[in-house]
Amino acid sequence: MAELRLTVNGAPRTLEVDDDTPLLWILRDQLGLTGTKFGCGVGVCGACTILENGKALRACQLPASEIAGRSFTTIEGLSPDVSHPCQRAWMEEEVPQCGYCQAGMIMTACGLLNEHPDPNDHLIDTVMSDSVCRCGTYPRIRKAIYRAAAEIREKKSSSP
Amino acid sequence: MKISRRDFVRTVALGGAGLVVGFNGRGIFAADAAKQFAPNGWVKIDIDGAVTLTIGKSEMGQGVRTSLAMILAEELEANWSRIKLVQASPSPVFDDLGTGGSDSVRDGWRSLRKAGAAAREMLAAAAAARWKVDRGSCAASNGAIVHTASGRRFEYGALVADAAKLSVPNNPPLKNARDYKIVGRRTPRIDGRDIVSGKAHYGIDTKIPGMLYASLERPPWIGAKPKRMEEEKAKNVRGVRNVMKTSRGIAVVADNTWATIKGRTALAVDWGEPPPDAFDSEAHFKRLELASRERGFITRKEEPPPGTAAVARTIEATYHYPFYAHAPVETMNCVADVRENRCTIWAPTQAPNRLQKQVADLLGITLDKVDVNVTLIGGGFGRRLGVDYALEAAEISRAAKVPVQLLWSRQDDMKHGHFQAASVHYLSAGFDAQGAPVAWKHTKAGSFHNISALDPKEVRDIAWYQDWSWGAYDVPYAIPAIETAYVTVDLPVKHGPWRAVFAPSSVFAREVFFDEMAHARNADPLAFRLDLLKGADIVKAGRVTIDRRRLRRVLEVVREKSGWGAPVPKGHGRGVACNAYFGHTYIAYVVDLRVNGDGHAHIERVVAAVDCGIVVNPIGVEQQIEGGIIWGISSALGGEITFRGGAAQQGSYADVAVARMRDTPAIETHIIPSNGTEPFGMGEPPVPPIVPAITNAIFAATGKRIRRLPIHPEDLA
Repeated sequence: MAELRLTVNGAPRTLEVDDDTPLLWILRDQLGLTGTKFGCGVGVCGACTILENGKALRACQLPASEIAGRSFTTIEGLSPDVSHPCQRAWMEEEVPQCGYCQAGMIMTACGLLNEHPDPNDHLIDTVMSDSVCRCGTYPRIRKAIYRAAAEIREKKSSSP
Repeated sequence: MKISRRDFVRTVALGGAGLVVGFNGRGIFAADAAKQFAPNGWVKIDIDGAVTLTIGKSEMGQGVRTSLAMILAEELEANWSRIKLVQASPSPVFDDLGTGGSDSVRDGWRSLRKAGAAAREMLAAAAAARWKVDRGSCAASNGAIVHTASGRRFEYGALVADAAKLSVPNNPPLKNARDYKIVGRRTPRIDGRDIVSGKAHYGIDTKIPGMLYASLERPPWIGAKPKRMEEEKAKNVRGVRNVMKTSRGIAVVADNTWATIKGRTALAVDWGEPPPDAFDSEAHFKRLELASRERGFITRKEEPPPGTAAVARTIEATYHYPFYAHAPVETMNCVADVRENRCTIWAPTQAPNRLQKQVADLLGITLDKVDVNVTLIGGGFGRRLGVDYALEAAEISRAAKVPVQLLWSRQDDMKHGHFQAASVHYLSAGFDAQGAPVAWKHTKAGSFHNISALDPKEVRDIAWYQDWSWGAYDVPYAIPAIETAYVTVDLPVKHGPWRAVFAPSSVFAREVFFDEMAHARNADPLAFRLDLLKGADIVKAGRVTIDRRRLRRVLEVVREKSGWGAPVPKGHGRGVACNAYFGHTYIAYVVDLRVNGDGHAHIERVVAAVDCGIVVNPIGVEQQIEGGIIWGISSALGGEITFRGGAAQQGSYADVAVARMRDTPAIETHIIPSNGTEPFGMGEPPVPPIVPAITNAIFAATGKRIRRLPIHPEDLA
């Protein structure tokens, strides 16, 4: 048990936690941020994906011993008013069915778009195929990623 | 199972606070007889005009919370933005909750429209009385009653106190479909915003004061007993409170989820070796193969009319359908709070009343002492009709004397599923001397769900056997002699309903064999289907009535939209399949794919045509077609569960290969405008015909016939 300091959604947090506790369970059990989902615990389903400096990471694969001082964003912190281009695109394209995997999908897509603002089918296949949706929302996720990418590019080109 | 239902309405005045209209499916009842009946919903209009609809169906991705609200709002002429939803809990009034069989929208259509219309008529009558005008001169629109001539208006909220005093019209006039403003409109999901912001609350997100966390180590095969375990080591894990033996396994109870996981690892239960006769799926397939050649229980027999030509040539084939897991991304979980003679449950469940009953029986208390809260479900697919995880949680909470959240690991979920049972299908067809099909035989050897109490050996009613062979006995094609049969084979591992229940295996065998018949006589498989869907437009088989016109129409649409018949490049193939799901929802698919040199089938495009009767929300229909196709692709390309030593050999998404983004084709959905009078289900029907359309396309591409699922690339390389 050790004291852990980290930043989640912009807020500094101090916790008592075992060194091997994955960030996933710190978020869910201790911080009450249940938007980040458990699906497999071994990094093969993507349900627990979060962001660090815009890069998508699996919260189930980040033990407490490796996250001190780092800063993460979860689905709850993606935007204050559900206005992130990915969240809007997900609603516009009517992506969710059961919705359980979608926070992870959105965070994975954010990571993809941060690295590749102009993605193509091959990139989407490569990056998004690490995440599981049993309802089969993949065709709409693809459309939503293109829609969000277009909105992000448009914003950039119109801002001074 | 399907129950024929009549509609009714009743009202209850809530101390002048609002107008409440209730309804269920079994007849009109007086208020004091309410407990004998099972309302599937309640409409409540508050004096501020807010409309609250209690949803009796579990939301697991089919959008029922949205579509049921749409149906109600349409007849009520409600203001869509004022609709609020409440999820029903089991009670004497709600004694028949349950979600499955693609029945939610169909059930809701019958009851909700009438409830909405009755409430609208009462509100209109109340307004007319206040204005001292004819009801006929008043119109309901967007949450208000308007006096057309004078333009005077009352918002609904202002009328509820008066309306609640009126008697309920038994047969309120229903709107003409031409006047629909909400039904049929592309309507965003009510829960969409919560989902994309992480606020949607699933079972796993439940947290109540004083709650501890639990993980359960279950016997890996039936009858397994722990030989050794490291109980002290587990208890020494920081955060672990207790290690407890229960009737269902050994529970680790801890302060947080991570401690339960570590504690269970430290426990290192040694279960010894399984007995030599423990269940083995390879041996089971051999039993199924033998059984498929028995005569079986005849589920349909059509004698050829006199003058039918004799069989000159016969073809036959045997098809293998494997075990599959549901593998929803949200694993089984439940929060149980068992107190002295009382229990509260929070569960992602498709069967709230069954859950309540079984928990009450387990604890030896009455139903009214068990409160069940139904959460959103992170994927159901039939798995959550089973209530095993709630019983486990209740038992642990009782033993630990605290509220607990039981969470299954991914491995638990894969290995302790209620699997789709394997089946083997024997089909044969006879052609006359001119090559016309004159005889059809389909025998299914399979296993009925053993999560129910029914013993198949005791069942003599043909309707059960027909249910178990959906897609087989209701073969829609016009063949003079038809014989379908079912053979029950014992299956000692847990098996239960899986999306589309008994149909996927039967429709796979039927639609692939039909393709084989077409090729046996050099016929185009799509034209051959249309040819054999001529004759009588209406066919009855058991409880199913098939309208061949609707099946022909979906085939004609996919023929046109897919460019069927146009040449395809080498290595590519195009396949077709169709199905009439329970005689309700009609779907045809054309699949375009290519098979690479390494034998990997890449599905490039699926063109779908669907006739599901009245369409409530087109977005929902499209989503279910897409989801059903992806579900089918998962089962075609992987996802098989095998058993050795009584246990499933697969334990993660790494060794159960479910479809991913890279496996996803372009999907075009064509919804056939319906002249029908009711909507039919969409959760299950898209599943059965997709796999045979894929394997038929593989045959077109490679000349290799897939008769055993899933497809292995080495079979095609």
